Amino acid sequence: MTDEQLHRAALGGSSDAMAVLYSRHGGLIYRFTLQMSRDETIAEEITQEVFLALLTQLDRFDAERGSLSTWLCGIARRQLLKRLNRSDPPASFDVDEENQEQASCPSDGPAETLLRHEAVRLVHDGMNQLPPALREVVILCALEEMSYEQAAQVLLVPVGTVRSRLHRAKARLAVLLRGEMANTERKR
Amino acid sequence: MSTERELEEILAEIGLEHRAIGAPDKLESVLCAATAARISVKAAPRMRLAFTLAAVVILLAALAGVAVLWQTHIGHSSQIQQARSASPVQRTPQAIDPLTNRTQTHNLPAKPAQVRNIQKHDATPRHALLPHRTWNSLDEFVPLPASEGLPTAAELRVVRIKLRGSDLQQYGLQTPADAAGQTMLAEFVVGEDGLPRAIRIVR
Repeated sequence: MTDEQLHRAALGGSSDAMAVLYSRHGGLIYRFTLQMSRDETIAEEITQEVFLALLTQLDRFDAERGSLSTWLCGIARRQLLKRLNRSDPPASFDVDEENQEQASCPSDGPAETLLRHEAVRLVHDGMNQLPPALREVVILCALEEMSYEQAAQVLLVPVGTVRSRLHRAKARLAVLLRGEMANTERKR
Repeated sequence: MSTERELEEILAEIGLEHRAIGAPDKLESVLCAATAARISVKAAPRMRLAFTLAAVVILLAALAGVAVLWQTHIGHSSQIQQARSASPVQRTPQAIDPLTNRTQTHNLPAKPAQVRNIQKHDATPRHALLPHRTWNSLDEFVPLPASEGLPTAAELRVVRIKLRGSDLQQYGLQTPADAAGQTMLAEFVVGEDGLPRAIRIVR
């Protein structure tokens, strides 16, 4: 059964169809909002709002322009942006070009002895420190393994922008990673 | 191992861990309930429409029933009216004030059928008819035995008179002994020759 068929069935009041749609796409929406907000409550609320919007804004979904998952993810992103703008200091989704490269670049050095788990923690923490515009690209492309085209549909930006943002995000993470590896090497 | 490659492997590892996170189960029941509630919300206007249509149908049926009853009543009334109009002998007393004891005379147009009817009764043997007729059973016009052998009247009229019970005997009618002294109001059908053809007791 395609998403479109389930979509129509849910519109007709089928709870089962809604359950299937939720099992297919609920995880993506929840994970994306959880990684972006780092708040389980916000993630749950937005996920629920997104699927409720599925019942009320179905006519806005066009299967020819994109998949249901990217459409839902786009709704989640807009909801999240509204929520963040209301609660916290405005979280800019624009990339700060001034600070983007090697702001705190440590010394270059090999990192053969870096412990794996420390590296993972470092990258994870580094992701959370990225600007939202870069973080969302990393989540969609690196963690969710979306294609550039799919991410572009979610973010409503050109594919080239997605590619460049992902490149910059990885560069930042790589700098962090190199610095940590160097520090570890020095300690040894 | 280069930093970029190391980063890619770390991101892949984080991705595996990330994708292992599922959507909260508790949201599924909420969304299913919301989907079912959507049916209820959509069904409500349909139910209202169905009830409205049913009410209209019931109202139309009631109106049709009233119309049928009204037509039946009108038809029955017209039948009664026709029956009354078809019986001139019965209509005549209604034209007469029954409360007055004064004798009144009404001219009736000649109705051969009516006359023939009376003549037909005249053909009946009086001695066979009269014993069953008493003075207080003459609520309808009956031919008088005394009118037997009279020619058919071309014009008839009803004459209302007060008489005693004993007076009926002179017209060939039997009167009970206790009613012989009672006064009664009678109507006579009189021909143009002034001779009575039929009689009935008004009260």
